[in-house]
Amino acid sequence: MSSHGVITGTGAVCPLGRTAPEFVRRLFAGESAVRPLTAEEKDGLQATHVARCDGFTPQPEIPAMKARRFDRGSQFAIIACAQALAEAGYDVSKSPSEIGIALGTGSAGAGALTEFLRVLLVESPEAAPPFHFPNTVANAPASQVSIELKLLGPNVTITQKDPSALNALLFSSIALSSRRARAMLAGGVDEWNRYYALGFDRVGALRGEKRQSGIVQGEGGFAVLLEREEDARGRGAVPLAAVTGIAMAGSPCEPYRFTADRETVEKTIRGALADAGVEPSGIDLVFPSRNGVLDMDAAEDEMLRSIFGKRPRSVSVKDAIGEMAAAGGGQLVAASRAVSRKDNPIPEGERPRRVLVDSFGAGGNFLAAVVEAARVPAA
Amino acid sequence: MIKDRRVVVTGIGAVTSIGADAAEFWSNLLAGKCGIRPVSLFDAVPYRTQTAAEVGEIPDGFLSAAEKRRMSRADRMGLAAAREAVEQSGLDLSSEDPARLGVILGGGTSGLLDSEDFFFHHLHGKKARPSKVLNHMPDAITDRVAQHFGAEGIKSTITTACSSSANAMGYAHDAIASGWADVVITGGSDVLARLTYGGFNSLRSVDPEPCRPFDRERKGLSIGEAAGILVFEERERALRRGAPVLAEFLGYGVTSDAYHMTAPDPSGAAGGRTIQAALECSGVNASDVDYVNAHGTATPQNDSAETAAIKWALGDRAREIPVSSIKSMVGHCLCASGAIEGVATVLTVRDQLIPPTIHYENADPACDLDYVPNAAREGRVEIALSNSFAFGGNSSVVVFASPGR
Repeated sequence: MSSHGVITGTGAVCPLGRTAPEFVRRLFAGESAVRPLTAEEKDGLQATHVARCDGFTPQPEIPAMKARRFDRGSQFAIIACAQALAEAGYDVSKSPSEIGIALGTGSAGAGALTEFLRVLLVESPEAAPPFHFPNTVANAPASQVSIELKLLGPNVTITQKDPSALNALLFSSIALSSRRARAMLAGGVDEWNRYYALGFDRVGALRGEKRQSGIVQGEGGFAVLLEREEDARGRGAVPLAAVTGIAMAGSPCEPYRFTADRETVEKTIRGALADAGVEPSGIDLVFPSRNGVLDMDAAEDEMLRSIFGKRPRSVSVKDAIGEMAAAGGGQLVAASRAVSRKDNPIPEGERPRRVLVDSFGAGGNFLAAVVEAARVPAA
Repeated sequence: MIKDRRVVVTGIGAVTSIGADAAEFWSNLLAGKCGIRPVSLFDAVPYRTQTAAEVGEIPDGFLSAAEKRRMSRADRMGLAAAREAVEQSGLDLSSEDPARLGVILGGGTSGLLDSEDFFFHHLHGKKARPSKVLNHMPDAITDRVAQHFGAEGIKSTITTACSSSANAMGYAHDAIASGWADVVITGGSDVLARLTYGGFNSLRSVDPEPCRPFDRERKGLSIGEAAGILVFEERERALRRGAPVLAEFLGYGVTSDAYHMTAPDPSGAAGGRTIQAALECSGVNASDVDYVNAHGTATPQNDSAETAAIKWALGDRAREIPVSSIKSMVGHCLCASGAIEGVATVLTVRDQLIPPTIHYENADPACDLDYVPNAAREGRVEIALSNSFAFGGNSSVVVFASPGR
């Protein structure tokens, strides 16, 4: 059943909590971290809202002196990944080459990139601070994780619009089945950046005073530890969940356009269900892709009703933490905990057995995954 | 890695500073032509150095004026190379199942040159045109290629800095080998930008003169830009349709150095492990390797660490085989370097000709392998490696084999 692997640990640093259990508890309590932009954040934007990790400090996990070396995204990623490994009880040092990392991101490096460029463009190239340049790369967070946690296995960062984190999950699944690794930290990381917000605002991507349709930006770092089931069981771990289905489909269009392509939405969802070998009736909860892009949301809503024969029980993770390339990581963390037997905030009779995760983005990028309760091994 | 499905290269395309298609690129590589010259894309006078391997005219005549306006330089270069590669493959994409056709590219700078203009205007209190930032994200080119060819299958942009497009090729291989796709358009397109130009200059890693990989007097890299695109295809179906098989992609290694954000492990162990992983995945031994297309950036640290890595992984074989860096001619094309060096490596195993490392004059005791100095040569190359190392310790090594093997 766990054709893609089991999830043995989760980590989250996000607008709704600084640990995965806190995030999931508040999510299912119906809380949202979306808030109005402060005057400083607003600064000419027509966007009105954001979800940020307000008050975040990297302590106690990363000492203050050391934390200065890392940009915000790297701090999120290091802490989220360390949480996932700790929960999984995974000892990296036993075989560091057998564990890798794949993170999805749309903004990693944005802080360093814009600061370096700002000085270069306003003052001079010679004045641009060399300290920032290495952190301008999108792979900085995953790489800092590998350096800090001493992972020697596969290490990639993927940028493919809103579903980047589910892309990272697929990469991780393929890495496990191809025997490149026995365990992969999969997830996503994004940091809010005022200049990126400006760009998104000007191209019409953000919801606000002038636009009803558009996203509210979020930020955060999310990770799950994905292992081959036999390896996880072999080392005595108790999986939280299993990833049983993943599907990806494309709908060719301009890179920055959302295409409300109902056929592709349906193909993606049905693909994930077929991969998991379940009928729509086997899904108890949906984390929709819904992100405020109205025609996309309408298309998804319509296809979910059509596939399930009624509107399925659903919880919108993005309404709570905002939209970002890493959001799929948050959905994965929440899905893993929602089906687990551990620290589950959902009352026992109401717990889902299987969760469908949708993650659709601009540029015709569509992914979906099925996360379900881990099998209880025969005693 | 146990593989049921093998992966072959059935098409290649290239847009580089020394050739606007793969054939011209290849003949100039073999002739030892250098594409590193004064920068014209932006004013380089305020920078420490003023040269780069810049692409001349982009063969994008197949695009309408309106399409070109919407696209970044990286888009136009990437599409031109992709069109060449698909044409060579002989694939009739209109009759392919679009769900089995994937696009996996490496990316980084993408539309950065334009977003720098947007940012410049904004910072100087002027009105900035929003269309300038539309292509900022490195995944734009991947979506463009999928749009152009109607691909609806697996799609990803790998953003691991200078190993991006090597990792993209590796992932494309895994996607086909594991059954997620039958054909994947892979490689990458990366262009000059002020950020990367200024960045490497700020780190004092750029040679004001054309770079000299492995030379004792090397002073740093020369930045370049390029698009390199390869069509990867499941072998049985490629053979069935009588496709031109240029090379086989045997496998790849992808690892973390977990050493330092910018410095390579000088012992060679980190890079050596990546080579070892690539050999294991490909089912070949160190003694089978006939050629290494080096990362060879010409920074003092990289070239000695890479030499150590090759020796660490290949042992005695390291001294018996040629190792060359085409960066001496096309510069360091950053996120497209793995792709363009992949194209060169495919041509090496196809033609049994080895491109040189030019500007090589002085032997360095820390770089004591055969770097094919200054002149191309013939040689038996059945199995070739191409190394890519990146900021963050993201290392990737790909393995190509000659089609007849």
